[in-house]
Amino acid sequence: MNVTLFFEQLVNGLSLGSLYALIAVGYTVVYGIIQLINFAHGEIFMVGAFGAYTVWMVVGSPTALSWPMALFVLLPAMILGGVVLSVGTALATERFAYRPLRGAPRLAPLISAIGISVFLQEFVRLFYRKLPGAPDSKRAIPFPRIEGITGHSLQVGAVAIKLSSVFTVVALAVCTAFLWYYINKTKTGRAMVATSQDPDTARLMGIDVDAVIMRAFAVGAGLAAVAGVAHGLYIGNIDFKMGFMAGLKAFTAAVLGGIGNINGAVVGGLVLGIVESFAAQLGNSAWKDVWAFVILILVLVFRPQGILGAKVADRA
Amino acid sequence: MTEKLLARAGAVRVAGVVAAALGLVTVLLPWAYGKTALDNMTYFFGPSFLQLCYAILLLVALVALAAKWFRGRLGRFAKAVAWADTAKAAGLGAAGYALACLVAIAVQNGGLVMIEPGGWAAFGLALVTGGAALVLPGSAKPTLGKLKSPPWVQILAIAAAMAVVLFAAAYELNRADIEDFLVFGCFAVAVVVVGRAAGLFGWLSLAAANNRRVLSLAAFAVAFAFPFTQNGSDANMSVANQVLIFAATAMGLNIVVGLVGLLDMGYIAFLGAGAFTAAVLSKSAFATLSVDLPFPVTVLISGVVASLLGLLIGTPTLRVSGDYLAIVTLAFGEIFRITMNNLDGVDGPNITNGSNGVPAIPNLDFFGFNLGQVHHFLGVDLGRQSNYYWLLLVVIAVVIVVFSNLAHSRIGRGWVAIREDELAAEAMGVNTFALKLLAFAGGAFLAGMAGSVKAYRDTAVSPDQFVFLESAFLLAAVVLGGMGTIGGVLIGATLLKLLPEKLRFFEDYRLLLFGALMVLMMRFRPEGIVADERRQLEFHDADEELAEEVEEDLVSHHSLLNPETDRGAVA
Amino acid sequence: MNRNHLRVGAAAVAALLAFAGCGARSDTTDESTSGGDANKTVKIGVIAPLSGDLSSFGAGIRNSVELAIREANESGAIPGWTIELAAEDDQATPDVGQNAATKLAGDDTVAGVVGTMNSSVAQPVIPVLDAANIPMVSPANTLPALTKGADLTNPVRPNANFFRLCASDDKQGPFAAQYLLDSGITKVATVHDKKVYGKGLVDEFAKYFEANGGEIVAAETINPDDKDYNTVITKIKEANPEAIYYGGESPQAGPLSAQAKAAGLNVPLMGGDGLYDASFIDLAGAAGEGDLATSVGAPVDTLASAKAFVDAYNAAGFDSGYSAYGAYAYDAANTIIEALKVTLPGAADVKSVRAQIVEAVGKVSFTGATGDIAFDEFGDNKSRVLTVYKVESGAWTPVKSGEA
Repeated sequence: MNVTLFFEQLVNGLSLGSLYALIAVGYTVVYGIIQLINFAHGEIFMVGAFGAYTVWMVVGSPTALSWPMALFVLLPAMILGGVVLSVGTALATERFAYRPLRGAPRLAPLISAIGISVFLQEFVRLFYRKLPGAPDSKRAIPFPRIEGITGHSLQVGAVAIKLSSVFTVVALAVCTAFLWYYINKTKTGRAMVATSQDPDTARLMGIDVDAVIMRAFAVGAGLAAVAGVAHGLYIGNIDFKMGFMAGLKAFTAAVLGGIGNINGAVVGGLVLGIVESFAAQLGNSAWKDVWAFVILILVLVFRPQGILGAKVADRA
Repeated sequence: MTEKLLARAGAVRVAGVVAAALGLVTVLLPWAYGKTALDNMTYFFGPSFLQLCYAILLLVALVALAAKWFRGRLGRFAKAVAWADTAKAAGLGAAGYALACLVAIAVQNGGLVMIEPGGWAAFGLALVTGGAALVLPGSAKPTLGKLKSPPWVQILAIAAAMAVVLFAAAYELNRADIEDFLVFGCFAVAVVVVGRAAGLFGWLSLAAANNRRVLSLAAFAVAFAFPFTQNGSDANMSVANQVLIFAATAMGLNIVVGLVGLLDMGYIAFLGAGAFTAAVLSKSAFATLSVDLPFPVTVLISGVVASLLGLLIGTPTLRVSGDYLAIVTLAFGEIFRITMNNLDGVDGPNITNGSNGVPAIPNLDFFGFNLGQVHHFLGVDLGRQSNYYWLLLVVIAVVIVVFSNLAHSRIGRGWVAIREDELAAEAMGVNTFALKLLAFAGGAFLAGMAGSVKAYRDTAVSPDQFVFLESAFLLAAVVLGGMGTIGGVLIGATLLKLLPEKLRFFEDYRLLLFGALMVLMMRFRPEGIVADERRQLEFHDADEELAEEVEEDLVSHHSLLNPETDRGAVA
Repeated sequence: MNRNHLRVGAAAVAALLAFAGCGARSDTTDESTSGGDANKTVKIGVIAPLSGDLSSFGAGIRNSVELAIREANESGAIPGWTIELAAEDDQATPDVGQNAATKLAGDDTVAGVVGTMNSSVAQPVIPVLDAANIPMVSPANTLPALTKGADLTNPVRPNANFFRLCASDDKQGPFAAQYLLDSGITKVATVHDKKVYGKGLVDEFAKYFEANGGEIVAAETINPDDKDYNTVITKIKEANPEAIYYGGESPQAGPLSAQAKAAGLNVPLMGGDGLYDASFIDLAGAAGEGDLATSVGAPVDTLASAKAFVDAYNAAGFDSGYSAYGAYAYDAANTIIEALKVTLPGAADVKSVRAQIVEAVGKVSFTGATGDIAFDEFGDNKSRVLTVYKVESGAWTPVKSGEA
């Protein structure tokens, strides 16, 4: 493997890993607080991508905007639309499906989550296309081109880096910085940490645990929506099934980094993305996913606290 | 208010009885204008079968309402049966059923104008009957279940119930139109509701508990007789086979999830392992290992291969539990599917022909009895699917026997102990690791056996049959039906495989409904349709009334099951 | 109430009955004669995915068969018989397909089946129909083994009732390979989705390509559930291919083409009839320009019969398009109808002449919407006309037609 190839695969891995990481944060935040594997989180990511697409559709499906307009007006609007829809969906599932099951045996919310996952996928598949002007959501939909990102590459030596890759990695960096500030510097963020460490004591100290849980869902959904937009730009299309595999891989990433640990999710995502791209490069691409899952199983069995260490090692 | 009502109760009751009597007359009138609606309800004085169903419900309502006037002559039944509740359920059930008929007529013949006055009258009169019963005072809890009855009555009742079930199932499954199917389904649901309200089911379940062996035999006999009700058609038998394979696999999962409480989300892999083993060993031209083995040996090998896989997947349970285990098993399921895809001679050794799988598996042949041919028996042509149906019946019988014996043994109690509290179980000397492994291996063995028959019935095995969604369906069958129970899982499997096959008109919404159902079920009845008593408590631990009820039930069951125990002493 | 009243009542009811002209339930004979139409019924079944991911293809198949049946009934193609459609959903799943086949096999008036779309579904379906002697004409199954058995070098036809109109992989793959070789391309990378169709196509392509002087510089697979193909593309790019041959369908092929060009791999992507669909151009976008696909039959606008089909379909007012396999399905239905024309007149019922129908299907010869239709000894279509299409200014344009 020559140097150019190495760096190209590294960039591929980092881009894919950034997507995983953005989604993985959602699993980790929620798990850290209520020990629930939100199996439907992959679908929240999918809903975010469709939200962004809807914004583009609502403003009249513009295709020939100048790049500053596309980059600084359209794209933020699309991200905002995605975030709003994702957060709304996540809060609704929390309120109507998970909250009533708090205190029930642990099987119940997990099965409920599988139900939500199937429901959201099918809902988008069947009903998104009924919106006026919407494309056939039963199959993949080409994501709108954002002038200034789509189709352009940065040439660094012999290595061509797509601007959509750059966008994905930058999105992760910005989101992580924001998250760090939120968790460590704001009152509500501190409340979240406190609740995840000891919910009962947190409640006694006057923290509204329900609100904290909702915030955790919202934060995870917001990041997933950003990932949805990045996915659209980087991959070029979105569809109702996109959340399943991505969600599974992102969960793997969260476990890899140490579930409950936000930095761990980011590291885990990047590591998984890089491992996957090099596994395909060096080995047989047909077995690529098997390696990802084998890593997951090995980590769960031998180092359940993950790379950076989970806060809740006794879960395993 | 109540006093006023009570004062007029007599008048209300008379009104209800009269309405019911008039309602009975409406079945002699046509309900529909067109002959094609439902089963031709256009005749005067010639009630169709579906009209008679209405009459049955209304007759029950009438009798239940009138029962008050004959209290003296009813003897011990006067109090044992919840007459008022029965009248309520039957009256409203008849109204609902009539409404379903009218809707079906309107849908099938295009418009409300196709409904004759008779139909409207039937609906209205049933509504009045039900309404009258509704305003009358309710009755105390039925105590029919506690009534003593001679064994021969109980056995006869079981046999009759089974015969009714067979007839109803055959009738229901032979409906070609969705509307007919749904209308008769409404009737069946109404009958169940009425039976419950009257306390009849309490009595029946007790009779069943007292005569377990009779019940099992009767159920098996009914299942055995089912192909004879199909007039030589294989269509329903094909669906029935799918249900049986699915149910046998779900029963294996039931051990792991229902008894031990370990969530497995990749269970379809075990069915796949069994199916692939049988296919690869079969005499198909595509089989890579084609060995000429007697079928029972193939079944055993398939089971063993599946249980080896089960051991492999179960090993992490030593260290992983809860949600993590769910993800580990999901990952194993995906690894299984991808591996079967890759064992194609290019990306791995050629065992499964990759995505092509192993097609053209020849039919089984037992001593010259070829399962692929049509056999003429007792005046009925029994096709290929009927033959496999009987084979599968044997498999499911074995599965049920294994399951129920395990569940009621020392091992089963150990499993439940692990589910309830693993640490406590371990402290009490339960070998949790060995038991968990045994659950995985045992469950997988059952699924593998089912898989081997599936390979022969399907004649082709390919990796894309064993996707995650199928595992989710298996889990749903166990959860919907009732974790840890046999009947529940059978019902769950039947519903999940039969309804999509019959309700073709919302096939595109199948998965949407499935998802919504899972969420609603967890929210409102997490213990499933048939609830395991202990588990029911687990889900409703704040419900003291339920706790008492369950305890009471357990006690009364116990004393009736063991008549020699002094009832007073137990209570 | 005295006796007289009762009598009056009874008389009134009797009069009412007579007036209404309603018999008692026992005499059901009037139902069979009341039809007035003396025609006997024969059914043509369809087994296709009518729900789920592939439902747009399935609907095209069903509608096209319905169109053929409608036309035959209007023209009175089979005197004394009316043709009906019996469409069953297979959900693209083998078990469900088998249920559908069993149901159709149990119906004594079914004379033939058009389907299935997926070869994996066909595998369990064919034997069920074979046992009942019902011919099955497939518009879309490309797996060679379905007509030639396990050993392709020593072919044995496994089921006499199975016929297909589409070209099997062993024709389409080599045709594409020859086209690329003719265009001077000798270094190709292959990618497939590890499914029956895609893998079969790539296997046959590679075999022919290498035997005729080409070189496969990279052979990769993708997981159809994945969306990101960049790692595979980077790996392929290293091998400097002059074209990519993709075995699979447009939902993956479109994005693959787009991502390849975005990554600087500016070579055409070629595939089989799974790509020959408008959705490919949608998903590939501008990057799709110059990509290639092979499909069976002569180009639609060069054949009068094809134009007639397209016009009739559009005029029939179906709610979805005829999709990739509509024309084959239409021809498949007409194949069965042609066979029925020979066998049904004079027959007492459908069931007793099923064996003759199977035989007659093997002997049909007519020009359909996809070209000449006649079967060889394996049940494959003799006509080997294939066409290479190229994406030019956002539309599939035929560039070369020929015998495979």
